[in-house]
Amino acid sequence: MVSINYSAREVCCKIVYYGPGLSGKTTNLQYVHSKVPGNTRGDLISLATEADRTLYFDFLPINIGTINGFAAKFQLYTVPGQVYYNATRKLVLRGVDGVVFVADSQPDKMDENIESLINLEENLREYGYDIDNMPLVIQYNKRDLPGVMPVADLDARLNPKGRHTFEASATVGNGVFDTLKLIIKLVLDKAKSGGTTSSTRPSLETNPVAHKPQPVAAVAEETPIQAVASPQPPSPPPSAPTAQANESAATDASQQPSFDEPLLGGPANASAPPMPQAEAPQTMPSQATPVADSSDYRPYPGDRKKYPESPTPAAIETPQSHPVTESPSMERPVPESDMDQIESSRPSMAPPLKRRKTEKKRGFFKRLFGIK
Amino acid sequence: MSEDTLIIYEEETRQIETLLSKMLKGAEAKCALLVDKDGHLISRQGFTQSLDTTALAALLAGSFASTKEIARLVGEDEFSVLFHQGKKDHIHMSLVGDRSILVVVFDDRTTIGMVRLYAKEVAVELAKVFDQIRENAKKEGGKSGISDDFASMAQDRLDDIFQD
Repeated sequence: MVSINYSAREVCCKIVYYGPGLSGKTTNLQYVHSKVPGNTRGDLISLATEADRTLYFDFLPINIGTINGFAAKFQLYTVPGQVYYNATRKLVLRGVDGVVFVADSQPDKMDENIESLINLEENLREYGYDIDNMPLVIQYNKRDLPGVMPVADLDARLNPKGRHTFEASATVGNGVFDTLKLIIKLVLDKAKSGGTTSSTRPSLETNPVAHKPQPVAAVAEETPIQAVASPQPPSPPPSAPTAQANESAATDASQQPSFDEPLLGGPANASAPPMPQAEAPQTMPSQATPVADSSDYRPYPGDRKKYPESPTPAAIETPQSHPVTESPSMERPVPESDMDQIESSRPSMAPPLKRRKTEKKRGFFKRLFGIK
Repeated sequence: MSEDTLIIYEEETRQIETLLSKMLKGAEAKCALLVDKDGHLISRQGFTQSLDTTALAALLAGSFASTKEIARLVGEDEFSVLFHQGKKDHIHMSLVGDRSILVVVFDDRTTIGMVRLYAKEVAVELAKVFDQIRENAKKEGGKSGISDDFASMAQDRLDDIFQD
């Protein structure tokens, strides 16, 4: 399905390269990957066997940049062509927006082409799609090989309904971009047939159940569209994958602070120690220790995490220990700089407490035995 | 196909993000992704800067889809929970409603039990949000796609980019 994500300001389409084994589907993607500028594409992910036969699918995300405030993204998939991979081939077709059927132009491959085309129709039907309504481009590949069938014969066998066709030679790139451009055009044509995306919601209501929202995003007649609506202004047009990286960085950066907030609910919150408790180790050292422990890592019942060795009284006493007890961040429970401070504070702070304890003990024994 | 329609408004987006964030804090996991079964990323929370979330979403959806077929072969409808254990990082996947997958990436700072517990709780809440979204979509009945000028501008851009 065409996905229009209003929150991330992006339109995403799924295009699947279908066809018999060894017809050149992966080669199509490899050519696109090699020729498209690096800031326009992501990595080509290939789930293949050791012999480079596609086992599950190849995946190549393409981001053609920002159009009307939306990043236009296309996800190109291939399927494994071999007959016995039909189960996985069908899975890749889920949610498809457009299909490129890559046919092998060699005469002895014609039966495989026909079988694959029939299989495509069956698999689409299982998802409830009608191949006649699905954007489809047929690519006659391997035209550079000697002895290939004439296009008229191929059309007669594979294209009785007069779908769009291209002659191609994927290894050298002939016809690869033409095919891709046309399928994208067909997909967008179909998606736009439903209307416009310009409407925005006038006001945000706090009660999502009660409100009668106006559509911010919706779906074309035939194509289900998933949309995440957000009336925020379009982000400045970044360029392609860098844009994606920036966007994700920005999103994540904005989310990071939430990790520094105290935990919501749960036993951890209940035991979050106010600082005064941690500052009273001299009167109740036995109680202060567990409190400081629990505050370090926001434990939950049955927590098995590695706590630091029971904190020294000095660490509890020192004001430098505050960041340790307050830090809820799982990623950085104790900032290193603070840790250094704590460490450095230990030698200087520990002796006085030890001395006080020793003096206290000495006084007790002196009183006990009447020593003066 | 109209029953596949999914329209999410900003309120729901916020609800989803809040729920994911709350789950992350509770389970002390690294990050959470909400992916639909087609491989599109719906939402993400947590430390995802170092992750290629687009590819991750596609692969996770593929992984989940393949286990569904495995489930079918052994007589199950589908497996609702999937767990990948690594040396340091682990991935917990669980079904949300009937079309989305909640993915939680976590390490040894927390436990699989905690992640499961919180993921299960939040999946129920997320499913309610998706039910609400579906109801809204039914009430709306309105359909819109992408505008004409978007398609034509995209076509011009494609001509620039895809040059042999």
